[in-house]
Amino acid sequence: MGTIRMDRRLFLKSAGATAGAVAATQVGCLRYFKKGRSSAAETKEIPTTCELCPNKCSAIAVVEGGFVRKLNPNPENPKSRDMLCARGNAAIKQVYDPDRLKQPMIRMGARGEGKWKPVSWDEAFDFAAKKLSEVKGKYGPEASLWSSTEGFQEVFFKNLGLAFGSPNLVRHPTLCLASVNLAYSATFGTVPSFDLLNSKFVIMSGANRFESIITPDTMDLIGGVMERKAKLVYLDPRFTVTAAKADEWYPIKPGTDLAFILAMIHVIIAENRHSKDFVATYTTGFEQLAEHVKQYTPEWAEKETEIPAKDIVRIAREFADAGARALYYAGRRSSWYQNDFQMRRAQAILNAIVGNWDQMGGMVPNAKLPKGEFLFMPWDEPKAPRVDEIKTAFPLAAAGDGVYLKLRENVLSGKPYPVKAWMVYKQDPMNSLPDQAKTLKMIEQMDFIGVIDVQMSDMAWYADVVFPESAYLERTDPVEVMPGIWPAVVYRQQVVKPIHDTKPNLEIVQGLAKRLGLGDYFDYTIEQWVEAEFKDLPIPMAAEHMKKHGVWAASGQPSYGKTLTPDHRFVTKTGKIEIFSERLQEAGYDPLPVYAAPVQPPGDRFRLILGRVGYFTHANQSNNVWLHEFMKENDLWINPKPAERMGIRDGAYVSVSSSVGSVKLKARVTEEIRPDCVFMLHGFGKKSKMQSLVYNVGASDAVILETAWDKVSGNAAFHETFVKVANA
Amino acid sequence: MAIKKKRYALVIDSRKCINCKACVVACKAENRVPVGNFRNRINEERKGEYPKLSINFEPEQCHHCAEPSCVRVCPTGASWQRKDGIVLVNYDECIGCRYCMVACPYDARYFNEEQGVVDKCTLCSHRVDKGDIPACVETCPSKVRVFGDLEDPSSRIHELLATRRYRVKEPQTGNGPQLYYLL
Amino acid sequence: MHEFNWGLLIVVYLFLGGLSAGLFFAAGLADYMTVDDKPVYARVARTGAFLAPWPVAIGSGLLILDLGNWYRFYKLFIHFRWESPMSIGSYLLTIFTVIAFLYLFAWLTAEERAWLFGKIPATWKQVHRLNVDISAWRGRIAMVGFPFSIGVGIYTGVLLGAVSARPFWNTNLVAQMFLFSALSSGAAALMLAMVLNKKSPAEKHEIKFLVTLDVVFISLELFIILPYLIHGQLSSLAVKQALSLILGGPYTFVFWGPFLVMGLLVPLAIEVYELAPNIFKGHEFHGSRNLALTAAGLVLIGGFLLRYIFVYAGQVSSFHQMGMLH
Repeated sequence: MGTIRMDRRLFLKSAGATAGAVAATQVGCLRYFKKGRSSAAETKEIPTTCELCPNKCSAIAVVEGGFVRKLNPNPENPKSRDMLCARGNAAIKQVYDPDRLKQPMIRMGARGEGKWKPVSWDEAFDFAAKKLSEVKGKYGPEASLWSSTEGFQEVFFKNLGLAFGSPNLVRHPTLCLASVNLAYSATFGTVPSFDLLNSKFVIMSGANRFESIITPDTMDLIGGVMERKAKLVYLDPRFTVTAAKADEWYPIKPGTDLAFILAMIHVIIAENRHSKDFVATYTTGFEQLAEHVKQYTPEWAEKETEIPAKDIVRIAREFADAGARALYYAGRRSSWYQNDFQMRRAQAILNAIVGNWDQMGGMVPNAKLPKGEFLFMPWDEPKAPRVDEIKTAFPLAAAGDGVYLKLRENVLSGKPYPVKAWMVYKQDPMNSLPDQAKTLKMIEQMDFIGVIDVQMSDMAWYADVVFPESAYLERTDPVEVMPGIWPAVVYRQQVVKPIHDTKPNLEIVQGLAKRLGLGDYFDYTIEQWVEAEFKDLPIPMAAEHMKKHGVWAASGQPSYGKTLTPDHRFVTKTGKIEIFSERLQEAGYDPLPVYAAPVQPPGDRFRLILGRVGYFTHANQSNNVWLHEFMKENDLWINPKPAERMGIRDGAYVSVSSSVGSVKLKARVTEEIRPDCVFMLHGFGKKSKMQSLVYNVGASDAVILETAWDKVSGNAAFHETFVKVANA
Repeated sequence: MAIKKKRYALVIDSRKCINCKACVVACKAENRVPVGNFRNRINEERKGEYPKLSINFEPEQCHHCAEPSCVRVCPTGASWQRKDGIVLVNYDECIGCRYCMVACPYDARYFNEEQGVVDKCTLCSHRVDKGDIPACVETCPSKVRVFGDLEDPSSRIHELLATRRYRVKEPQTGNGPQLYYLL
Repeated sequence: MHEFNWGLLIVVYLFLGGLSAGLFFAAGLADYMTVDDKPVYARVARTGAFLAPWPVAIGSGLLILDLGNWYRFYKLFIHFRWESPMSIGSYLLTIFTVIAFLYLFAWLTAEERAWLFGKIPATWKQVHRLNVDISAWRGRIAMVGFPFSIGVGIYTGVLLGAVSARPFWNTNLVAQMFLFSALSSGAAALMLAMVLNKKSPAEKHEIKFLVTLDVVFISLELFIILPYLIHGQLSSLAVKQALSLILGGPYTFVFWGPFLVMGLLVPLAIEVYELAPNIFKGHEFHGSRNLALTAAGLVLIGGFLLRYIFVYAGQVSSFHQMGMLH
């Protein structure tokens, strides 16, 4: 096994033993044991910022003899709350992963066949630049697609796409949280944070905050709930860890959360429990709302949601009584149903009418910190319109992020224009988009695909050229301001030199830019870029501080109520919190959330729902050897009632099929899920053989998920697939 | 100056545990625990029938017992206990007979195939001796474990044990376990 | 699923250790038994003395192989830890093994000694000085060896019984159970060897001696197993749960079927069937060769299974609340 070999080499080097000769001897091992404990002399501690998920926790890397030994949490970052999760701790194995991309490679066989030729960086750059130029010459620069997921170096990749002349940047939000962002922006003019540290009553639809870790929300909520400072009501078709820790769990009928929220609003207004002063001073459209929700009685909602009417009434009362310290928590991956935007809007409205805006224990607009900017040479804005037609199809959506699924449809149809080159940074569309067969078709019709990644993702596996990026512990990255209730600035600096022939993204972008004749736009170093950003930080001796501490936080105490002055203008059309939204009305959407019952699966089918566990992020850590230990294969959760009816045994393989595909995985017959749903975890069933631990193990949800999206935000709707389950 | 007696222990508020495994990986990195072996773990108990269900998580590792049976049965004295209560294995003396593993009521030890010796949680004694806290305690998102000196009346664990109800696991074995689980 | 830290090698080791103890005990006893001041069981004693040291020597070898670092076994003998049954046992076993070999040497004839020392180069003078006749010391060696053989028999049980973490083991009956099982295995093995010796077939009085011995030991073993089960049932919950491993758990079949019935009751019945007419009615002892072989074989299998069941089931048993194992 490659992993073990790697381990051995690692510790021998760090133990200072001579290479090779004594590798397997007991003597060598024992020396390692002793030395490992007493070699404090050569130990360095370097603060940096974790990149294993989007939380950006501050970590202190312990480096011993040039090797990363340990990552400790950095208590100076208020957002990461002095912790490092399993993934953060396992980042060491990202660096020393034997499966890692170790040098640039060009595809030799057919796409996905896995025949690679290791090449020099020059060859890789030349090859990619030639291909990109060919596409540009033949179809124009807009025929190139630049897709990426957030990260400190994403900016360089996006800039390359723009400088190349393509309007077609597409980012992760429409696979993630676009609907929640848009809903809160439409209501409050901004997306706030949720002060779970001080909240008294929290309702959460899905979001599974105790398995899907978000800083500081997860830590604040578990502390609050377990020390009996806060009550947590949790709605989820699945009995997650969050459900287990909640005070009340309701296995709500999937897709009906909106009915629950509307009925709560109904009760609060009918019983006159809303915050009258706040509503009168800061909001607009309350009268329309009061009229609109009259139809949504708790008794009606009981039929929709399967949550008893008396519980809805009671919860609504308790929620309103907690007032400013009550929270309907928004969550992050809000890509569930086709009505997602309106469901999030209803949550925002419910929050608004109890007056929790900008209050301790309520929703708090994010405080920001200033940061300097590196001034690079500007380029001409791309001329062509976006291929996803976002301006007309989703007029309210964030144009810069694009709408992924609509974009894929348009690329496949070749309309409004063909897209023939695809550059990918730090993203795995093969697994993050529904309907993998469709993504494969999109891949097929590309003249060129280039992928920049740390590991051989499934997307990289289908690329024509892969550019190995250095792991975050091997890089210095741009400075990041993290807005929030406890705003902070974080800095990621190089902890160890790259152990393979890899480069940070900026250098990959520069290599390509030079050959594409765009070198002047990227004529700077990461040090210059960072230096410029340090300049405007509100920190004395900013550069020294950030290098020494890795993080800087404003004073410990949050400031509440800054926006609660009569002359404050919210960034909305009316300058008020918009319960009734004219902007939505003008764009052709419901100005108030209107409920439409979701289609339910026919008798022999189940609704497929998705979720996360605390030790994997997205699709990209199931191959980390220290995390893989906790789950070697994903399985299909199915309730014992249907399982018994269908003769499905726990641990036996079942086939799960939808209209777009079929997978095989083990059944987990469990009481912890509604009988009309099945669940599987994301991130398994990889097609890339360089994900050796999970290659062809378990199944990828992307294979069976059908394409559907939220009408307003374009956010993918991942819970709209009905599947058939049968013994395999 | 009199040398002050120390007695290290862990207080565990397992209700706060969300099974995120941070402690397990932190331990693995800090102590170079081989893949497949663990010095700490999270026990799971799942009960009930839909929709009346419960899940309980319970972190566990060496209890650093007051009367450790592993130390008692060790034929070479490789398993030993420090004055501050930390139970350790002297890797040079361990012959790998695994009697201590069999004798541990908590299955807290593992056999390191590569070294041919038994290994276990050291309560990160190398960190503790520098004034740090164990890696599992430090990294935890919800701060489930509290580390401290029972002999120090001003310590947080002293206060917790004085003011909160708690239990220890399997006291019947007479080992005198020093992992205190808050109720 | 529970991991087994101790496996088949330990089972074999415990079995072989006990077997040697039993062989030595039976041999020594046979040496002391006289009829009209004549040693009538000398052949039994000699066969036993020839067999006794080998199983424990092989068993100790297996134990050393089972160590994580086999070459460190010497560390067992540079420490003495009176609290550790294994430490005490290691010394006990070593001394016993030496005595057993000494006893074997004492039973060698002059020709056999000549043959043995003939293998050693003539230049190794110091070794050749050891070629002395110590047959007169047999009795004294056996006398010194008895407590050590009993000690080894008990030790194999104490090794397990001393583990307070395993309720299946941690009763005061396991040591006795292992001791009597060891003694009965020894008698059975000796019987097997005597009967199978084609050159000089066992005589009836010799078989009778061994059968009697075995009946006594099996009966004593049964008297221990019965209270073990009864006490266990009346004991604390943890012990009761531990016992459920053989009373409705995964080891139930092997305990009741192959071990208790086939390994104890059937051979006991055979032996009583052979012995009873002779004792109660004064009939001549049958001394059926096949029945003796069958009974002895079954006893040996039973003795092995007892260790197997205890080593494995014991490791599964614990004070853990059910369902909280990871």
